[in-house]
Amino acid sequence: MKQASIPLEEYMGSGHLACQGCGATQAMRFALKALGPQTALVIPACCWAVIDGSFPHSCVQQPIYHTAFETAAVVASGLKAGLEMRGDSETTVMAWAGDGGTFDIGLQALSGAAERNEDIIYVCYDNEAYMNTGIQRSSSTPYGAWTTTTPVTNYKRRPKKNMIDIMAAHEIPYIATASTAYPHDIIRKMAKAKEIRGTKYIQIFAPCPTGWKLAPELSVKMARLGVTSKVYPMLEITENGQKLEVWKDFEPSSVREYMKPQGRFRHLTDEELDGIEREVEANWQRLLAKEKMLGSIPGLA
Amino acid sequence: MVEKVEFKTYREMPIRPMTVTDMLWNRTGSWRNVRPYYDFKTSPCKAGCPTGENIQRYIYLVTENDYEQAWKTIIDSNPMPAVTGRVCFHPCMSNCTRGEFDEPVNINAIERSLGDKGIENPGWMKRSKPSKKEKVAVVGSGPAGLSCAFYLARQGYPVTLFEMEKALGGILRWGIPEYRLPNDILDKVVGAIVDSGPITVKTGVKVGSDIGLAEIDKEYDAVFLGLGLTRSREIGVDNEDCDGVHPGLEFLKKVNSGEKVDPGKKVAVIGGGNTAMDVARSALRCGSDVTVFYRRTIAEMPAIREEIEEAEKEGVKFYFLSTPKEIVAKKGKLSSVIFQKMELGEPDDSGRRRPVPVEGDTFEMGFDSLFPAIGEQADIDGFSGHLETEWNLISSKGEYGETSNDKIFAGGDIVTGAASVVEAIAAGRKSAERIGRFLSKEEEPVDTPDTVVGIDDMNTAYFSKVDQNRVPRIPASEIRGTFREIKTGYTAQLLHSEADRCFSCGVCNYCDNCWMFCPDTAIKRNKDDYEIDLDYCKGCLVCVEECPRSALSTREEGR
Repeated sequence: MKQASIPLEEYMGSGHLACQGCGATQAMRFALKALGPQTALVIPACCWAVIDGSFPHSCVQQPIYHTAFETAAVVASGLKAGLEMRGDSETTVMAWAGDGGTFDIGLQALSGAAERNEDIIYVCYDNEAYMNTGIQRSSSTPYGAWTTTTPVTNYKRRPKKNMIDIMAAHEIPYIATASTAYPHDIIRKMAKAKEIRGTKYIQIFAPCPTGWKLAPELSVKMARLGVTSKVYPMLEITENGQKLEVWKDFEPSSVREYMKPQGRFRHLTDEELDGIEREVEANWQRLLAKEKMLGSIPGLA
Repeated sequence: MVEKVEFKTYREMPIRPMTVTDMLWNRTGSWRNVRPYYDFKTSPCKAGCPTGENIQRYIYLVTENDYEQAWKTIIDSNPMPAVTGRVCFHPCMSNCTRGEFDEPVNINAIERSLGDKGIENPGWMKRSKPSKKEKVAVVGSGPAGLSCAFYLARQGYPVTLFEMEKALGGILRWGIPEYRLPNDILDKVVGAIVDSGPITVKTGVKVGSDIGLAEIDKEYDAVFLGLGLTRSREIGVDNEDCDGVHPGLEFLKKVNSGEKVDPGKKVAVIGGGNTAMDVARSALRCGSDVTVFYRRTIAEMPAIREEIEEAEKEGVKFYFLSTPKEIVAKKGKLSSVIFQKMELGEPDDSGRRRPVPVEGDTFEMGFDSLFPAIGEQADIDGFSGHLETEWNLISSKGEYGETSNDKIFAGGDIVTGAASVVEAIAAGRKSAERIGRFLSKEEEPVDTPDTVVGIDDMNTAYFSKVDQNRVPRIPASEIRGTFREIKTGYTAQLLHSEADRCFSCGVCNYCDNCWMFCPDTAIKRNKDDYEIDLDYCKGCLVCVEECPRSALSTREEGR
């Protein structure tokens, strides 16, 4: 047998409580493989607060601090400070929150931690709604999506919040998006984040078959098509928000191919899909323009 | 690791709210209603190969640097990869899934590289001892006969191999020019086969005249006839026996045996098959100016496409829709040929459009030599009465070469009419297996249908487009006056680069996708395979969907 293409060590075991085909679970498995055993996790209310298992059991070998919804970033900051006080500067502290706990409820704590440039990795596994509590809309839910609080007749008519730009405005050393379809990329980005001092924000695109009304086996495929259809661009922002790199080296696919298998978009008419396609392309062009603009400012790399 | 934790009262609970054990008590396998399982299927290349070479397997072994096992994998179904790697019409490549993605994997060139490595390492060939007492006669030492003798000897049967010529090889030796298959390569391949087991060679013996078939039938416990087609077909016009007109196969035989031949300045070749191409390109190498005349168009030519293209590149001229009407001889020597122009009419039995003469449209051209190469016939006059024949070919009842005589089997061109080297090899092997079962009175195996995968079964998101690695060759400008092999073969680097292009359709090649993407960590990565832990597999089927090569299947639980 050939050498394994990703680290063999497993820190996330079986028996957890995630749904079939859960993207957030894959994301955790890859992240832990990259960060290794000397890592402490802070998890606020979110799917992962449940997936992990019921007290006193945990499917994850690294210690987890379960905390309140709005406090992931600040608890992680405190945990890191406590470890430093005791002379431990080696342990990586990772806050691991869903999009509700990041885009909405935990935003102030995250903003505070980022502004202070606390030495933590903050990961948002983005499944685009409050999945754990029953699929309610979050500010990460994309335009056009069904949720239980934006039912079909009244689907979400506001765009997804641009969290990356918000984080970039904090001028932190490392920001990246990733997707569960690209494990090697997640592992590379997590390993890179581990080596950087300061606040690292990584947003992992993690499909939720249950909340997206999607066949579980298509979980990875959606994570891939989301990227190749340019709906969810893969990017890295370094040098305190001054350098943007967008991944472009892929075979492009259509937005419709991405949306069609997902029940949460089933009600959209052809006209509405056309509109979404135009918006995706416009966002993509804006992103590329921004990448070019940042790269052409004299004195900046 | 699995530890059940129970607290009877709150006092037993740990003082600090800390995890004490894992979640393995929670057997999530009970959530599942569909189960994934590893289910390796047949790759289309293997399905397309007449002799059923396990192509996926040996290409995988090449990527693992295990040339010896790769070579042995081929030898299990074809004893001469150094030959087929040079002359095969490679239907595997027309079937290759990659052909629908970018370009097929150059299986033929990979096979040749492995065949050559087998020649460099004679120790790889296992020597079999005579373990059975029943004797088998194999008549003809072309691809069918050699293959049959090899697989009989492998089973331990003492084989006597009869060949009417002085050297072994049949059509491989006399019909295929050296620039495609060098004699020294053929000598080594034939030598290795003969040395591999209890094979006794009798050359210069023609069965049917020097020794009767009835005699052989009596002396041996089983007989295999792999005589091939040895008689050239005649055009059927006047003066065909004049000086300067020779059957194409005869010319090839002279050239291949190293005789100095001068076909003259202007040469005409009649026919559109592989023999015609071989004759034309050989004459070109003797320094002649060669024109091929074919009665249909290039689209109907039965020759391997690559051979036609190469002949054109080397400078062979083609006249289509022309057939010789009259040979003009002066003093018993060829002077010119009058050709009849043809046009295509209704399709015939073969599905190709029948050529019909265009009344009054003829032309005349002068030649020093004319080589008809319009097909060969069997020479089985000596067998009449002993075996059923049809259209001057031996009739076979089954797929293993059974004939009207229980003890006699036949395979290759003598049964099928003009076909290919690889089909003859396959026929020889199948007959050898059948003869083994016949002699040991074994039951016929039950055929299990293969599930062949195609491009639609693949998850092509994991493949990127890469051009086929071309085989290095000597330039067309350097071919005159030499029979040096045209293709020089892959370098080690090209071999690996090409092997890496294989999709490994239907068979796991340890890409790790299933193991990597399992959200439940329920796939174990063992030393040689993967294993699904059904105690925890929730049946999400991400592994099945993300397998690039359809090596997993699903089954509903409880069925």
